[in-house]
Amino acid sequence: MTALSRRTVLRGVGATLSLPWLEAMMPKPARAAGSRPPVRMAVLYMPNGVHPEMWTPAGEGRDFELSSTLAPLADVKNEITVLTNLWNRSAVAGDGHYVKTSGFLTCTTVTKTLGVDINCNGVSMDQVAAQRIGKQTPLPSLELGTAPVTTGVDRNVGYTRVYGSHIAWSGPTSPLAREINPRSVFERLFRATQPRGDAAGQDRLLLDRVLDDAKQLRERLGRSDRHRLDEYLSAVRSLEERLERAGRPEELAWKPRAPLPEEARPAGIPKDFAEHVRLMLDMVALAFQSDSTRVCTFMFGNAVSNQNFSFLDGVRGGHHSLSHHQRDADKLRQYQLINRWHVEQYAYLLKKLRETKEAEASLLDNSMILFGSGLRDGNRHDPHNLPLLLAGCGGGRLAGGRHLVYRNDTPLSNLYVSMLEAFGAPVERFADSTGPLSGVLAGS
Amino acid sequence: MAGFDVARLTSEKSITETPRSWSRILARVRQGEMPPKNSPAPAPEVRERFSAWIDTRLRTAACSDGIAPGPAPLRRLNRAEYAATIRDLLNIHINAGHALPADGAGGEGFDNAAETLFLSPIHAEKYLEAANTALGYAMSDPRSRARFLIAEPNETTSPEQAARKVLVAFLPRAFRRPVKPEEVEHYVALFRGARGRGESQDGTIAFALRGVLVSPHFLFRLEDPNPDPAPRLVGPYEFASRLSYFLWGSMPDETLFGLAAQGSLHEPEVLQAQVVRMLKDPKSREFAENFVEQWLGTRELGRDIKPDPKLFPAYYDAEIQSAMRYEPILFFQELLAQNLSLLNLIDSKFTILTNKLQRHYGIELSERLRQQPKRVELPPGTHRGGLLGMAAVLAVSSQPHRTSPVLRGKWILEAILGTPPPPPPPDVPKLEEEHGGAAARTLKELLLQHRRNPACASCHNRIDPLGFGLENFDVLGRWRTEDNGKPIDASGELPDGTAFNGVDELRVVLLRQKDLFVRNLTSKLLGYALGRGLTIEDSCIVNQITAELEKNDYRAQTLILGIVNSVPFRYQAGTAANAPVPAPAGGSGNTRKTEGST
Repeated sequence: MTALSRRTVLRGVGATLSLPWLEAMMPKPARAAGSRPPVRMAVLYMPNGVHPEMWTPAGEGRDFELSSTLAPLADVKNEITVLTNLWNRSAVAGDGHYVKTSGFLTCTTVTKTLGVDINCNGVSMDQVAAQRIGKQTPLPSLELGTAPVTTGVDRNVGYTRVYGSHIAWSGPTSPLAREINPRSVFERLFRATQPRGDAAGQDRLLLDRVLDDAKQLRERLGRSDRHRLDEYLSAVRSLEERLERAGRPEELAWKPRAPLPEEARPAGIPKDFAEHVRLMLDMVALAFQSDSTRVCTFMFGNAVSNQNFSFLDGVRGGHHSLSHHQRDADKLRQYQLINRWHVEQYAYLLKKLRETKEAEASLLDNSMILFGSGLRDGNRHDPHNLPLLLAGCGGGRLAGGRHLVYRNDTPLSNLYVSMLEAFGAPVERFADSTGPLSGVLAGS
Repeated sequence: MAGFDVARLTSEKSITETPRSWSRILARVRQGEMPPKNSPAPAPEVRERFSAWIDTRLRTAACSDGIAPGPAPLRRLNRAEYAATIRDLLNIHINAGHALPADGAGGEGFDNAAETLFLSPIHAEKYLEAANTALGYAMSDPRSRARFLIAEPNETTSPEQAARKVLVAFLPRAFRRPVKPEEVEHYVALFRGARGRGESQDGTIAFALRGVLVSPHFLFRLEDPNPDPAPRLVGPYEFASRLSYFLWGSMPDETLFGLAAQGSLHEPEVLQAQVVRMLKDPKSREFAENFVEQWLGTRELGRDIKPDPKLFPAYYDAEIQSAMRYEPILFFQELLAQNLSLLNLIDSKFTILTNKLQRHYGIELSERLRQQPKRVELPPGTHRGGLLGMAAVLAVSSQPHRTSPVLRGKWILEAILGTPPPPPPPDVPKLEEEHGGAAARTLKELLLQHRRNPACASCHNRIDPLGFGLENFDVLGRWRTEDNGKPIDASGELPDGTAFNGVDELRVVLLRQKDLFVRNLTSKLLGYALGRGLTIEDSCIVNQITAELEKNDYRAQTLILGIVNSVPFRYQAGTAANAPVPAPAGGSGNTRKTEGST
């Protein structure tokens, strides 16, 4: 399949079709093998769940009406799929937040610990993708957030807060550190995409020295200590590989990489939270646009975030405490406004990607952007019927513009199987998956 | 608890025979997870009595055969340690670690715990960059240059000879130990390579030094593994690093290196003198800051926890934020440097104020304060003195828009008494309601009403009264006598019938529980010093240190000396796991006596 399938189009008929969409359907010579734009994948994680009664759209299939929380998506309604009744079985036990955050993209149950035997017991979906195709871009993946790792351990429930601050795990014991400063992200993208010639070569000399030191050192260490040193070794090796690849930019697969516009360089972390989020989302768009990476995760906040949302009219108080609404009408109202604000930011990113032309289509057409939370009702810490939205066409692989209602408790991991397939990194199984999720892929 | 059979653990003896299983059981019982849902649950008092009994049995058993050092896992410098080490190594005053990702916390709740100091691919990149920035800065600052560029090429010194001189002096400081000649040659080779490309002397030296700063010998705190089955004293240089990263959060200085070279740092008098010197050094700020902010949770203030700017604009002033933030840190540092009683943390006659914080608190003083924080003796009737009257603590245990007796009570149970309540069961209505509302009842009335629900009452009877004792402080810790036009009721009654009214009486109540407080603080500090979570064996040390503290008027330096003299701090485990350090002849324990220390 070269462009969007006819079925996809037929499903979308009746709603407004934007011009790039029509363009994307046209089989073009430029879309021949090799010059076809790559698929990008981003996951936007929202902490603390949603107001359960204000999320799900009315109606099913193509014929659905956005709920009040999803209303900000009106302009991109044809490009989103609302997924209802998926759950994360592995995140049922344990506590209210931590297992549901670190387990959100792994679909595994994290080990209960204050730190000493930290283990997510899996690999997150985004990292499965990054490990498969990450070498085709300067950065294998990008992990972003707005808040530093929450300090301390949560003795009330017996978990280290590290679990609440990570959704990307490259291995069972390797949560990936996130960047929270938009300026640093920009600099990183800039360095990654600008061939630096000799500087990169010099860095590699230093890294060789490091590897020699580390190898000698390794022999002297006990087994458990070797593991820590090996983490550094592999970090250094992957940087070395990257620097080497950067020396051969002609080998990168996707040619029309857009340069980074200098005026997009952020000054730093803005004081204003909403602006901070926007800048981070801008960085996601830039990363994709410049093909610096094709895999990105972004956490609006850490689990249990009590971010003050009083900048929204009618909201007074912290996110987490409002999510424990106790079915109080006023708290539910505020909780929903916070949810809706997050959806608005998602819509912002989607529109931005749609406005960015790439080949004959838009960047959104070549992306799939998942939005979700690890629990549904914040008052119940409930991983059933998770709030999940998938947007973009995945280069024509995804069918969009629908509300898909599944059987109760359909595995979330099935969605990941389908996303990985659309991404071009198919897997037989993912965690507790039972197969692909029907209806997500075009023609499925 | 998959694969965990409790059917065999039926006798009291099994506690001492299978301490690990029992400590897991203890944690689960305390967190309310055992007995499981839908089985009959014991009353909270019974639960607590049962837990306390297991706890005591476990500790007694662990302490009976001498103390094992426990693990000392390999760990990298955390972000703060990295920055402080670069600062001291290069004599520069920029934060070289600001671009590094923040570190998560493990163990006793600190971000220096080996178990959660991960390395992501991004770290390698950031270390290269940070080294580049720091060296660029250091090379261009004459004062700093002089610190490490100790040789320059001239008629009698070739560029390579100069580089070798620089490296011979720099490497032992960077690696915090003597280096072998061949190690120096590795870095001279880097210099030579860069030189071959025709770079300047500065550029080539910086290149070699950059190699040093990304070496695992610099980035990790490495200790030679102990090949023997039995524990041994940790090597002198390694001990110097253990001390300096504990008390300064940075590398050892010349004095410590010198004593390590002499091999005298393990000598009791030398060690004690060094500890006292280090605690009086301004670098102990690093320690006070890292420990206190994570212990009290005040690091989250201004991060995840921010007072509502519309309701509390007073917080949005850089000077007041800084004064609030540093009050508990500088207070703790003062206790250490002056060897004052740790009970000052609960109740004290002084605090650390700036002019703005003084006004914020509404305290009348005869002296005129400035922008610089200063120790101030408190006049009577200020209701300040001790952590409970500090704005940072009161703000971090509030909601953004109002105070929360529940959060504050929980904070006292966790941070002060070390007895965190179990989490609320899911989907029960929480106790709190908004102020006001149609019925315009007070928060207290609402909470009292909720506490009639027995499922909630068992914990909230413990939590809420403590928090009510602090109701005279608003979200920003300012004193108030009414809220929403209603007078503040700061009275509370604990489940055991102890009644109090207001923060001054609450302090007296907490002082009666000083054993719990001192044990909690000792455990936290020991976990911080060791950079790991405590094991049951470590609780013997906590016992010994708290006993010493009781004998020494709870003096702060007694606590620090107890820790640096403890077996896990001074020893390295051998290959035989859990082998204890034999008790010295005539000594009752393994902690050196610290009586008489001042």
